[in-house]
Amino acid sequence: MTAVIETKGLGKRYRRPWALADCTLSVPAGHVVGLVGPNGAGKSTLLNLAAGLLAPTTGTIEVLGGPAPANPAQLARLGFLAQDAPVYAALSVADHLKLGAHLNPGWDQSLARDRINQLDLDPGQKAGTLSGGQRAQLALTLALGKRPALLILDEPVASLDPLARREFLQDLMEAVAEQDLSVVLSSHLIADLERVCDYLIVLVGSRVRVAGPVEELLATHHLLTGPRRDPATLPDGQQVISGSHTDVQSTLLVRTSSPVLDPAWTVSEVGLEDMVLAYMRQAAGPGRRRTSGNHLEVQK
Amino acid sequence: MIWLTWRQFRPQAVTSLAVLAAFAILLAATGPHLASLYATSGLAGCQASCNHAASSFLGRVSGFYPLVFMLGIAGVILAPAVIGVFWGAPLIAREFETGTFRLAWTQSITRARWIASKLALPGLAAIAVTEGLSLMYGWWAAPIGQAARVASGSFPLGMGPFGLLAFDAHGVVPIGYAAFGFALGVTAGVLIRRALPAMALTLAIFAAVQVAMPLAIRPALFPPAHTTQSLAANFSGQQSMGPGGTFGFILDYLDGEPGAWIFSSGAVNAAGQPVSVMPAACVTAASSADGPNQCLASHGIGIGVSYLPTSRYWPLQWTETGIYLALALVLAGFSYWRLGRRLP
Repeated sequence: MTAVIETKGLGKRYRRPWALADCTLSVPAGHVVGLVGPNGAGKSTLLNLAAGLLAPTTGTIEVLGGPAPANPAQLARLGFLAQDAPVYAALSVADHLKLGAHLNPGWDQSLARDRINQLDLDPGQKAGTLSGGQRAQLALTLALGKRPALLILDEPVASLDPLARREFLQDLMEAVAEQDLSVVLSSHLIADLERVCDYLIVLVGSRVRVAGPVEELLATHHLLTGPRRDPATLPDGQQVISGSHTDVQSTLLVRTSSPVLDPAWTVSEVGLEDMVLAYMRQAAGPGRRRTSGNHLEVQK
Repeated sequence: MIWLTWRQFRPQAVTSLAVLAAFAILLAATGPHLASLYATSGLAGCQASCNHAASSFLGRVSGFYPLVFMLGIAGVILAPAVIGVFWGAPLIAREFETGTFRLAWTQSITRARWIASKLALPGLAAIAVTEGLSLMYGWWAAPIGQAARVASGSFPLGMGPFGLLAFDAHGVVPIGYAAFGFALGVTAGVLIRRALPAMALTLAIFAAVQVAMPLAIRPALFPPAHTTQSLAANFSGQQSMGPGGTFGFILDYLDGEPGAWIFSSGAVNAAGQPVSVMPAACVTAASSADGPNQCLASHGIGIGVSYLPTSRYWPLQWTETGIYLALALVLAGFSYWRLGRRLP
């Protein structure tokens, strides 16, 4: 599996606290990768490092097989949509397309113009008067017009209302289907990611808690309900992510690649959101069993 | 990149062109009359004892004209500050405030090019606008400056070539001021990253530098010349006498060196030493109608003057411009370096 973003021991410190510390992860190519984690997990810092907007304090980061973009040729292969989708308020929609055309050698004007037409944006309108959803769409158009190999979106829908959010993601999916590109998008809204991502990375406290194709993750996580039992007595292949116990009953979220055969358990499917939350809770609470090292197992 | 810089700079460019045009119209409407006043004053062909002609010309420049004169000088002097505050400070700070630097820096250009074009285009425009104002104003005010050169001190604000405000508004120094003001604003914006505080800091520092320059630095750039004027007929200045035969002189202008910048003047004896008490022989003469000057002169007392001759005008202009341009380059270089490093 080739990686579009590969980091080793990556760290970034602004003044005192580390925004990202000792982060090692690999983002595979050809996927729509969701980067999910609580606020302060280092998602935004990681993506800004990947876009070359920040320099790492420690460690290394490779993007599309080279160092984080610093020269025009590398930047041309990367589309970046920053948090809150910044655009120039005083410039019109058409000006933004001109900006894209002037600053990017690989600019696809017809793609950009078609998108603006489809979105029903008035080319003469000042970007400052656009709605939040329209502004995000304009910023996405700028990023897609570069014809990038990798599109990075930092919390693209966080500030949008539910309708605009859905439209934006749908639009993003269409663009991904048309262009052959890898996508990384961060969010703390798991429901949104579920709709568009086929690969998930859960980042908590700079650490990858779990990573893998969404389908595989769903297939290997099970919710077990049965008589109360000490999680330590489970078979070796079953890794407990979270558990809750009443006097007589245990409910465990386990990860295992083999089927659960013990008839004492009632096995049920688990949703992506519950699964992600379990990993976040696991990271937040005191170590139950093993809390890290998952990313090594997933890279099969 | 130049396109984006230009597109972002367009509103300021339009505003400054409008200001330049309004200024030009005002000066073009009033300039010819001023020139004709000068032509009929007899100052143009005047060879000697021109003080009277100069004073009478300046006396006729009345009503509306002193107002335009002041307005013009204020415009030229304030332009670099306005440019630094309203062009320089928000230039980069606004990009940080609105997050648009993330948009700009992820296009397919180097950050160095982005910074360079942002510094170059508005920076050169700042210089062009300020020097344009100065040249127009210089053309308009030339007759007044000429008259003031002859009759230094008889016009408000001491309008000799080295006059506090006149020096700042003429010649090439406005180029230096504009470049410095702009670069100072940009640097403040780069460091503070918020437009409003950056604007305030720019104004404060620029004002401090513009006060310190003429008061502390400019007089020290060239060594002054020294001369001793006799207490003869043409003495023009103020003379003071106190109890016990103390006395002093202050010279308003230097005969033979009209427009010279007089740093200090005072009574000196034949050996060039400053004196403050007149010889006993002259004390009685002091109370006579003729005054003590003839007596003092016979005792070898004259007025020692240290001054900067007008021949130093252009060297001083270029030196000061050079200092400001060097400061501007250092600040621009710092901003360039600072932004070139990867920052949030």
